[in-house]
Amino acid sequence: MARKKFEEEEVQANLLPVMNIMFLLIPALLLAMEFASMASINVSPPKFSSAPSEPKPEDEKKEKPLNLKVFVMEDGYRVSADGQQEGAEAGKAADSKAPTIPLAKAGAPLNDWDRYDYKALEASAAKYKSLFPNETIVTISAEAKIPMQAMIYTMDALAGNSCKIGKALKGEKVPDDCYFWQPIVEGGAG
Amino acid sequence: MTPDQEAFLAKKKEKAAARRQKPEEKGELGMTSLMDIVSIIVVYLLKSYASDPVVINPTAGQKIPLSTADAPMQDGIPIFVTLRGITFDDKKIVSMTPEGDIDPNSVNQHLIGPLYDALAEQVDKAKTLGENTGKPWAGRAIIVGDQELKFSALVDVMYTAGRAEFTDYSFCIIRKG
Repeated sequence: MARKKFEEEEVQANLLPVMNIMFLLIPALLLAMEFASMASINVSPPKFSSAPSEPKPEDEKKEKPLNLKVFVMEDGYRVSADGQQEGAEAGKAADSKAPTIPLAKAGAPLNDWDRYDYKALEASAAKYKSLFPNETIVTISAEAKIPMQAMIYTMDALAGNSCKIGKALKGEKVPDDCYFWQPIVEGGAG
Repeated sequence: MTPDQEAFLAKKKEKAAARRQKPEEKGELGMTSLMDIVSIIVVYLLKSYASDPVVINPTAGQKIPLSTADAPMQDGIPIFVTLRGITFDDKKIVSMTPEGDIDPNSVNQHLIGPLYDALAEQVDKAKTLGENTGKPWAGRAIIVGDQELKFSALVDVMYTAGRAEFTDYSFCIIRKG
């Protein structure tokens, strides 16, 4: 009796339904992804940026530096320019009792990012910028417990919240709405 | 049944018989369109990774500060400072206290010893590499901090990096909006 021969058939998987699912999955995953756009704030330590250089004859003709300083305290900002604190008592260079710009949300915890009055600080920066249009440097310091996010928002307010400095760093003109965009971070000394 | 209906059924049977006799067609998948899409995705991903000179992967639980700044990330050496510790070169080198301060055993007059050692070693490597490739060393430290990182800890990290010959600093931020 002849034996029936079984020939092994090559079975190919039907890829169409798999591909259908894949093509639905790709856009779904891309849409579900959260893209965080990273950027940076370039800061300088005080010894490099404010180190006094040899005075050149042409420097004497230039305007006097503003020397704007902002000290972030737990109860607000202390702003001073050219060694004189803004809003200090008459005849005094500094008044450590009261901040120049008090908190926007008094009594809020330190990790409440809206506790500082960034708008008032930005307005103050705009005022100084109008007086010293060529000045771009600000020295920022803070008390030990001040969180980094508060420091960053302070830098944003001093640079101007609408300031887009990215193109200027590539050689374009610095926009007019950029105030003090070159922060120097100084150790916490009042 | 009317003659029309009979004729219709007969035609239908004929068609069904013809379908049964017809050999099954093998469906082939067109790979061209698939390759087009894959190529576009590969180019897009390569471009998005290649545009940043430094790829920052935040450590677990780290909340990078938000900002309106738009300055692009420049080439540098990242230092991750979180509320748990300081990570450098994928190694946690310093721990933090529960209060968010740097472990007092690791700090001596603002200098964070283990971080200084790691940075100095990295600086030596970067300088040697720079000499061999003819590309000068930038001396930039990218500080990838946490939203709640205390200013005192931040200053200690900056001071230590300064002692290790870093001259420029960048704070890594996530762009708002």
